[in-house]
Amino acid sequence: MATEGDNSGAGATPRVPHDAIITRIVERAPGTRSFFLRLSAAQRFVFKPGQFISCLLPIGGQTMLRPYSLASSPGDPEIEICLNRVPGGVGTAYLFGLEVGAPLRFTGPWGTFILEEPPAAECVFIADGTGVAAIRPMLWRALRGPGAHPIRLHYAAVSRAHLLYADEIEAAARAHAQFTFVPLLGTPLTEEIERRYVNADHDRGRHFFICGVGDIVPRLRDLLRRSGYERRAVQYEKW
Amino acid sequence: MAKMRVLFENGDPERIIEFDPSKAPFQHDGRAGSILDILVGHGIHLEHACGGNCACTTCHVIVKEGFNRLSEAEESELDLLDKAPGLTPISRLGCQAVIEGDADITVVVPRFTINAA
Repeated sequence: MATEGDNSGAGATPRVPHDAIITRIVERAPGTRSFFLRLSAAQRFVFKPGQFISCLLPIGGQTMLRPYSLASSPGDPEIEICLNRVPGGVGTAYLFGLEVGAPLRFTGPWGTFILEEPPAAECVFIADGTGVAAIRPMLWRALRGPGAHPIRLHYAAVSRAHLLYADEIEAAARAHAQFTFVPLLGTPLTEEIERRYVNADHDRGRHFFICGVGDIVPRLRDLLRRSGYERRAVQYEKW
Repeated sequence: MAKMRVLFENGDPERIIEFDPSKAPFQHDGRAGSILDILVGHGIHLEHACGGNCACTTCHVIVKEGFNRLSEAEESELDLLDKAPGLTPISRLGCQAVIEGDADITVVVPRFTINAA
């Protein structure tokens, strides 16, 4: 059972494998699947929003390692990972062949791309594709704050169907006045970010959390840092 | 031929690898010819939780000799090294640092490579 708490590494070590069972599989979009995992009651697993697990996949007589962001929040009854089927990819081919009830072994949590406390500043989340998986628990954690600062999520996807978790994010935007959801289906992400956060004003006090696949992530990082945002105010994870 | 001497802070015995950098990659994780590639490709375990994708610090190593024979660290690696436990001025991420040419390198694998987040 996933529980919330400190994971300073002083107690449980993330390299000790956990053995989970797949309890649900949800097709979130064509070629994009969420796998829900449950651990036995005896296993303790704590993590921080933004972290990932390394799945140990028995493929071709070897154990192959594949990292996936934790799309669930600490304290959720199930652990969720959400991933795209990679054409020709042996890891995702293995995972997409699994059914409910199958075992899945992993180590973790890992990663320093985290959000523990709601930032005391305007908070901008930027997600590209399945990068939203890591952003999701960070967003929920940010929304637990007092609501004194704006929170925005810019989420770029190839189509409306690939805007993962759209319904719940839109509901959160209706429920929290400080939160604005900005889906991007056609506008290039870098142009949007440059327009809003580089050219629009001289405010350089915002905090950014960026997650995606490929070069879009370092391009956004460089755009923001070179425009004057403090290095550590631009946190990111590139897959 | 290049040579890598591997020391372990936890007291495991020293290992020495001789390798031909032109034969890289030796396995699938990390950049071709990186410290991670050489180690794992020659049967020496080095933690790399993100699969060698420059998304964690578990492959953090300390380069005692040959630091200047490695490819230059890019911003992504430097950002992660900022968060590596036990960071030193001669630290690198094993998955990113590529050995350039026939060099003699000595690396220390730290005791703790946990992402203490």
